[in-house]
Amino acid sequence: MSDKIGIYVCECGPNISSKVDIERILEEIAALEDFRDKELIVKQHKLLCSVAGKAFLEEEIKANELTHLICAACSPRDHDSTFKEVCKKAGLNPYMYKIVNIREQCAWVISDKEKATDKAIQYIHAGMDRVVYQQPLIEKQLDSNPDVLVIGGGIAGLQSALTLAGKNRRVFLVEKSAELGGTSIHFQKLLPRQGSDTATRNRKIKEVNKNPYIKVFTSTELSKIVGFLGNFEIVLKNSENDSETELLAGAVVLANGFQQANPQDFEGYNYTDNDEVYSALEIEKMYSETNQITMKSGELPKTVALVHCVGRKEVGYCSKICCNYLIKISDYLQSISSDIEIIDLFQDMCLPEKEDQEYYEELAARVIHSQRVTGTKVAGNKLTYTGINGRETTIEPDMIILAPAIIPAADNVHFANLLNIELHETGFFQEAHIKINPVSTNTDGVFVVGANRGACSISDAVIQAQAAAGKVLTQLIPGQKIIPEVMVSEILEAYCTGCQTCLEVCAYGAIYYDAERGISVVNEAICRGCGNCVGSCPSGSIRTRHFTNPQLYQEVKEALRK
Amino acid sequence: MNPTETVLVIGSGIAGMEASLMLSKAGKKVFLVERLPLIGGNVIKTGESFPNMECSTCLVAPIQQEILQDSNIEVLTVSDIISISGKAGDFAISVRKRARYVNIGACLGCGMCYPVCPVTQPNNWEQNLVEKKAIFVECAGSLPNVPVIDPALCLRLNGGEECNLCMEACMFGAIDFSEKEEILEINAGAVIVAAGFETIDAKEIENLGYGKYPGVFTAYELERLLASNGPTEGKLRMRDGETKPGRVAIIHCAGRDKVGYCSNVCCSYSARHAHFMKEKLPEVEIFDIYSDLCLPDKHYQKLNTEIRNGTSSYIYQSDIAKMKIEELEDKLLIQYLNEQEAEVSLEVDMLILTVAIKPAAGLEELADLLEIEIDKYGFIKTAAGEIGSVCTSRSGIFVAGCAEGPKDIPCSVLQSEAAVAQVMRLLES
Repeated sequence: MSDKIGIYVCECGPNISSKVDIERILEEIAALEDFRDKELIVKQHKLLCSVAGKAFLEEEIKANELTHLICAACSPRDHDSTFKEVCKKAGLNPYMYKIVNIREQCAWVISDKEKATDKAIQYIHAGMDRVVYQQPLIEKQLDSNPDVLVIGGGIAGLQSALTLAGKNRRVFLVEKSAELGGTSIHFQKLLPRQGSDTATRNRKIKEVNKNPYIKVFTSTELSKIVGFLGNFEIVLKNSENDSETELLAGAVVLANGFQQANPQDFEGYNYTDNDEVYSALEIEKMYSETNQITMKSGELPKTVALVHCVGRKEVGYCSKICCNYLIKISDYLQSISSDIEIIDLFQDMCLPEKEDQEYYEELAARVIHSQRVTGTKVAGNKLTYTGINGRETTIEPDMIILAPAIIPAADNVHFANLLNIELHETGFFQEAHIKINPVSTNTDGVFVVGANRGACSISDAVIQAQAAAGKVLTQLIPGQKIIPEVMVSEILEAYCTGCQTCLEVCAYGAIYYDAERGISVVNEAICRGCGNCVGSCPSGSIRTRHFTNPQLYQEVKEALRK
Repeated sequence: MNPTETVLVIGSGIAGMEASLMLSKAGKKVFLVERLPLIGGNVIKTGESFPNMECSTCLVAPIQQEILQDSNIEVLTVSDIISISGKAGDFAISVRKRARYVNIGACLGCGMCYPVCPVTQPNNWEQNLVEKKAIFVECAGSLPNVPVIDPALCLRLNGGEECNLCMEACMFGAIDFSEKEEILEINAGAVIVAAGFETIDAKEIENLGYGKYPGVFTAYELERLLASNGPTEGKLRMRDGETKPGRVAIIHCAGRDKVGYCSNVCCSYSARHAHFMKEKLPEVEIFDIYSDLCLPDKHYQKLNTEIRNGTSSYIYQSDIAKMKIEELEDKLLIQYLNEQEAEVSLEVDMLILTVAIKPAAGLEELADLLEIEIDKYGFIKTAAGEIGSVCTSRSGIFVAGCAEGPKDIPCSVLQSEAAVAQVMRLLES
């Protein structure tokens, strides 16, 4: 069977037909007899993307037994996928088709009809030169494992596990400490909008423990992971007895939490453990363990100063939750004794959720003396603040409670390397897209939730945990195959020198080095076909399918002729 | 229609679109109901998005296209929910699909019909900054790129006049005056309410001069002035469309005391607004008049700091209720209390109010109809006593995005993805 290229020019109503001379296009293209020994079929249609247009195209592909197809129409953004679907329906491999944009790039931008027509012809010609070099690509179907590894037993990890686990999906919940609960286990109360008390969280721990589809590994850390979305091979290590567990899972939800900065690391906060200076987390622990907030002497404080924004300037971001939890600590204090004087030294009152303001205003009206400041310093038990009027005041309250910046957990770097995910300049994890893909990462199948991607409230962490679960539940459906990208890179073994430059530029960790053969190898299930490796390869041994050098050169050469 | 394989999503903003695409990819049939003629919600009104200044259209248009081309998603524009019965896993929902009078399958969006229409009306989608015809698309780049006829204003549909101008202008025979509204009966297992938000009427903030002085704008008007597909094609101009403002002040927290909460996004978008005003009109002088900054994300403070270092002068005011605006000739005089509680004034040409976010019009009626509770602010209430829930008071109905409360794009997307998780769990069980 000889090759046949079908070239179909869309009128797009008047959009193309009124601005380019379609008849001349048909004539000149049809006149390219013996074009690379292929037979040419050249036709026009009023509107190829319409129902009638698609049926026409399908019939043409079948009746003429086309081996290659060109649609000279609009931007690929509009209808590339439309025509690809038609190819599939008609039995033509969709990678043997090419859309040529003669609307946005010709008809709509060139007022001179002759010139627009010339350019359209040249572009179609370029498309034809490319399409003959295209190769059919076959999509592969891979089995996928619906089970999920959740790292971190804090509120985000607990919620992820609970939302994911079910009769068709097991969850392996790994916690490095000996107990579940994370940081918030120390909180006596949650904010009103987050539920009235700790019962909700404790209930989640109970639910996790009794869920038959969740296997909890405490005192355990992730020691090794390889693989890709749908197929990860995992090794866990128990830190108490060094025993290892091997697991398979299809996705990873990382919820390794955060840490609170040490205020003494910031300029202007000089005190010792003997001073009456506490971090908010210390107060949370004290209140949760003793139901009291007392000084080192065991007595109740008469005056307490709450200091916001400790280290905010140094870390370069607002920690989001501090204003709210300091209000909550005021609530603790006033419930202990209505005689405690509370001085709240804030810079900006950040109350980003709808119920926050009312809670604040109610307590501020009754018990909090709010003082807006531009800076605070602590020296021993003395606290100096600068009011917004510029005046400095030094006070010596019985107790100073600091709200230090939330900073990334120490193991973020470790996980970034282990899971091949990117870190933001603050040290928190970087989202796949900060606006529209916030819990995904640059590695498919690895999700980040909770305060490891930035300071967040408990309700935020729970929402994020469910969001990651939503991603997994819609991407890894039990029994359904996953279809990896087919336009991926391949390394020609004969030319590869094993220099491993490509490993460095690959953002997805899709290339590994085969020491035995001395060459780099692409894992096609992970590769997204970005082409970074192609550009970096000094020996020219890498190509990206459907974007090979001959394909691109031929197209560009013809497009730029004259 | 198998209800356990079908989901109804109300609202096609960023939250509704994200949920629809995720569910479709998981093989669910999705009915995406939108009351307006176009999809995309409030996100598409912004020229660029905070904090990375990405072009919003470039961010959202591919998502809109994907939705329109997805055979698992049935997009029902100009449509409303009229009734719902049944229970989680098996709801029966009636949707009224109003007539568009333009055949979506035949129309190509060439735009030949609306210039010939003799009727004009204010374009409320463009914050009434410009007019539109009785047959219109809201703005350049509306998707679906198909006009709609307002039957209340069309001379033929309303006045019984023999006006055929748009029909004659259409080369595709897409205009169909005989189109009737349809009632669709949809059987779905779950519902996601992603009905979005609107802002309070700035005229209600009496001391800030909106509606009284033409130099006072809302931030949402400014958004359209800065957008390249907006009424001035992205040029910063006063209401006459020609005069360039010399000095602009942004007043933060406008109407916050009326609604009783922080609107969450204003401090962030104001930094973006200052950036683009300066970029488009380098000689403009910008002031941000604020009392508390709310920048609750690791990415946000950096841009704010950059803006404060040269683009805009941040001025603290201690009581927004005591601010006064007066007009002196062509200028606006802002009087406010400073750090010392002393009254000082600032003269500007243009004043931008970052008006508070409130529940979308009709949200209460929708909630009544769906038999779900709203909170004291009028937003959809989530399950009581649960942390970070996306469940409403009725099993099988979930909420996402600003219908639940003011939030930025990432938080809307997160909530939407969380709602999808709950839908998937419900439909699996």
